[in-house]
Amino acid sequence: MIKILQRLVFYVVAIFLALCINFLIPRLMPGDPMNMIFARFQGQMSPEAIAGLRQAMGFTDASMASQFLHYFTSILQGNFGVSTSLFPARVGDVIWQSLGWTVLLAGVSLLVSFSCGTVLGALAAWRRGSWIDRVLTPALIFIGSFPYFWLAMLLVYIFAYLVEWFPIGHAYSDGSKPAWTFAFFVDVMRHLFLPALSIVLATIGGWILSMRNAMVSVLGSEFINLAHCKGLSDRVVLVRYAMRNALLPNITGLGMAVGYVLAGSMLTEIVFSYPGQGYLLVQAVRNQDYPLMQGLFFCITLAVLLANWMVDLAYYWLDPRTRGQNI
Amino acid sequence: MFIKFWRTLGLLAWLAGVGACQPKAPSSRDYLVISTEPATAWIRNFNPFTASTGGGRWSTIAAMFEPLMIYNRMQGKFVPWLATEQRWEDAEHRRLIFSLRPSVRWSDGQALKAEDVVFTFQLLKKFPALDTNGVWSFLEGVELAAPTEVRFRFQKPFAPGLVYIAQQFIVPQHKWQDVQDPVSYANEQPVATGPYTELNLFENQVYELGRNPYYWQKDKAQVKALRFPAFPSNEQVMLNLLKGKIDLAANFIPAVDRVYVAKNPENHHYWFPLVGNMVFLYLNNAQPPFDQEEVRKAVSRGIDRQKIVKVAMFNYTEPAHPSGMTRAFEKWRLPVEQPEGEWVRFQPEKAAADLDRLGFKRGADGMRRLPDGKIWSLDIAVVTGWSDWVRAAQIMSKNLQTLGIDARMRTYDFGAYFSQLQRGEFQAAISWSTDTVEPYEFYRWLMAGTTKQAVGTSSPSNWQRFADPVVDAKLAALASSFDEGEQRKLIADLQILFMQHAPAIPLFPNPAWGTANTEHFVNYPSPAEPYAVLSPNYRPEILQVLTELRPKTQQEKKKL
Repeated sequence: MIKILQRLVFYVVAIFLALCINFLIPRLMPGDPMNMIFARFQGQMSPEAIAGLRQAMGFTDASMASQFLHYFTSILQGNFGVSTSLFPARVGDVIWQSLGWTVLLAGVSLLVSFSCGTVLGALAAWRRGSWIDRVLTPALIFIGSFPYFWLAMLLVYIFAYLVEWFPIGHAYSDGSKPAWTFAFFVDVMRHLFLPALSIVLATIGGWILSMRNAMVSVLGSEFINLAHCKGLSDRVVLVRYAMRNALLPNITGLGMAVGYVLAGSMLTEIVFSYPGQGYLLVQAVRNQDYPLMQGLFFCITLAVLLANWMVDLAYYWLDPRTRGQNI
Repeated sequence: MFIKFWRTLGLLAWLAGVGACQPKAPSSRDYLVISTEPATAWIRNFNPFTASTGGGRWSTIAAMFEPLMIYNRMQGKFVPWLATEQRWEDAEHRRLIFSLRPSVRWSDGQALKAEDVVFTFQLLKKFPALDTNGVWSFLEGVELAAPTEVRFRFQKPFAPGLVYIAQQFIVPQHKWQDVQDPVSYANEQPVATGPYTELNLFENQVYELGRNPYYWQKDKAQVKALRFPAFPSNEQVMLNLLKGKIDLAANFIPAVDRVYVAKNPENHHYWFPLVGNMVFLYLNNAQPPFDQEEVRKAVSRGIDRQKIVKVAMFNYTEPAHPSGMTRAFEKWRLPVEQPEGEWVRFQPEKAAADLDRLGFKRGADGMRRLPDGKIWSLDIAVVTGWSDWVRAAQIMSKNLQTLGIDARMRTYDFGAYFSQLQRGEFQAAISWSTDTVEPYEFYRWLMAGTTKQAVGTSSPSNWQRFADPVVDAKLAALASSFDEGEQRKLIADLQILFMQHAPAIPLFPNPAWGTANTEHFVNYPSPAEPYAVLSPNYRPEILQVLTELRPKTQQEKKKL
């Protein structure tokens, strides 16, 4: 119990540090956000209008310290401010609107990639020298070395443009309305398939490899021999004895992968016009939209920390040794 | 575990099968698909006042809210829109009257009144953040002159003000008078006078506008609806264009004849008229050696614009006119052959001879030396990834290196690039110029002493820090000139002054990118029928196009 509380303190400190970095990094970038608004006008905007907009968007010449205080108190109230590039939309609304699709895409592809990768890795180690071990694993690792968006563009070109098996983009057919029906579910799945596939292909190799390596060392242990000698079936030995132990490094990796997958899914989303957060971040950075950047980075940080927390919990469940102390 | 895995695979295979046997999109549709703003998810904001800062949707001032008159840059004249005519009330040109068109209605059925026009301009006065064109910098008052007439009183005679008043879109008083803060108002249920005002559909990846039931041009705007899919990247737009899923777009397409037109020569069309803004090489006039106009001209003579046009711009454009004006100013431009403007032609030998004469001698390494003995190095700033400008900068740095100037292209992130440009803290930079149809505004933006800021102070115009009292006097005379003959004379003088002083180096005019697909709808403007610019980038001019488009008839479809 004490251990869980200790971890909680760690997460609170991590969130606080992330908030500070979120505040600082955009402000260290060269350029002035108001200039970006100028730029969109190509110099046609009158000085009075600029002054008025400056005020409306909440730009101040206040010191960094008071800006930080203001930023921090508003975040505690759940207020991320008003986006300057999408003015007057509120950052919270903008992120909320697209969060679901990003979570769907990143979540589905992470789960598929992790579960398939782990199972394939375990099989590759279990039947060493089989086709999974000799052909599939190296092939998937090779594919995984391509960048996400490159794979995504290739998939779009072949499967959506040339042979037209899947739609070119978007999360569901234009003109249909989201509803809890089977037809809509199928529609969403069809649109999800290629973007998710591109992320799965790019990440599965890593899972296979790490699972395979962990399995190889576990399979050499005495307790596996003992399990065989006890006359347990191969399946029980594989799943209950070997995989459960070999899973630990992969579970640790899962916590960290959330960050990578979120970042990678943003590029994939842009390639597939998926209505998630991908282009929002690009737009925010390009226009030096501090509030939007802060909101998006905060979301990513929160997702990574949340995933790590779940990994911690999973550890307690998977590895009884961690449970032994202090509980 | 095994079973689950094979079940997953089976599901994936099934999905692939579902994907394969989906029916093809129907070959006929009654909505026009437009792609202009890059976005992944639409935000429901139909506030026309925020449309140019990126907050409001593109369509608000392209299909919903309408201005009094539209300046048509292909024909170089005003097209009466919500107003039927405008006239000056007094000989001094301080009172301007606009007569409103009778029988115009808002999309909720109420009549458009002169009070709405007065209200709109009062709103701009009350909230300066909305007055992006700065009409209240020259206006004194706006009032009703008669039940259907609005009088604009000027602080002083100011001829270029006409276009800003005429092109100001009008909002309904009965809807907007209760809005507390019009600057951050999202206007989710728009009421407007334009052809497409009804929100048939609003999803985060697509929205559709239906026809205004009370539209005043009864027989126009025959397309049933406009649909706007959200695409964040150029690649997505390209793929959808090639599949015929976008009708009207404003995208740059490399090798457009081969890539786009050849796919479907009957229906795929493009028109890139050279009426965009001029792209310049800005040399910082506040820094030696570019404080000397002879040096600026010599650098310009060393630039091979023909090659830039061919290599960097796919031959979509032409070398710049010596006045810096594009074809949008066709009726004002002097003939291209001007003795004062010969420096826009590529003359490397003359450029080298000029630089020798001006005292920039070549050292033993072939590089020229500045008066203080240092090697003459020159950074040309461009934005990372803006590939056409990057290619242009590469050609120019090669050109200048053969002249003996150690020129290098420097790419920056847009924020950093634009900030140094505005602050005047650069040596040389490629950039656009103001996109205007007023010769006065064009030259004021480019070379008025009144817009010159100190180096280090951010300035929206005159980045190169040029000032000349003669230019300022001519600009002031032009601002208060209402006689076309006199205006013509003054604009000609300004062109000659530009050629004499070379405040900035014109490179090439930007084309107005526009592609059209005639599979379902016809009547797009084209080189054969140039009634307006095709490119949806030009608002409010695109209103004219959207009202002229109509569905293809059965006979027209059969003919193909």
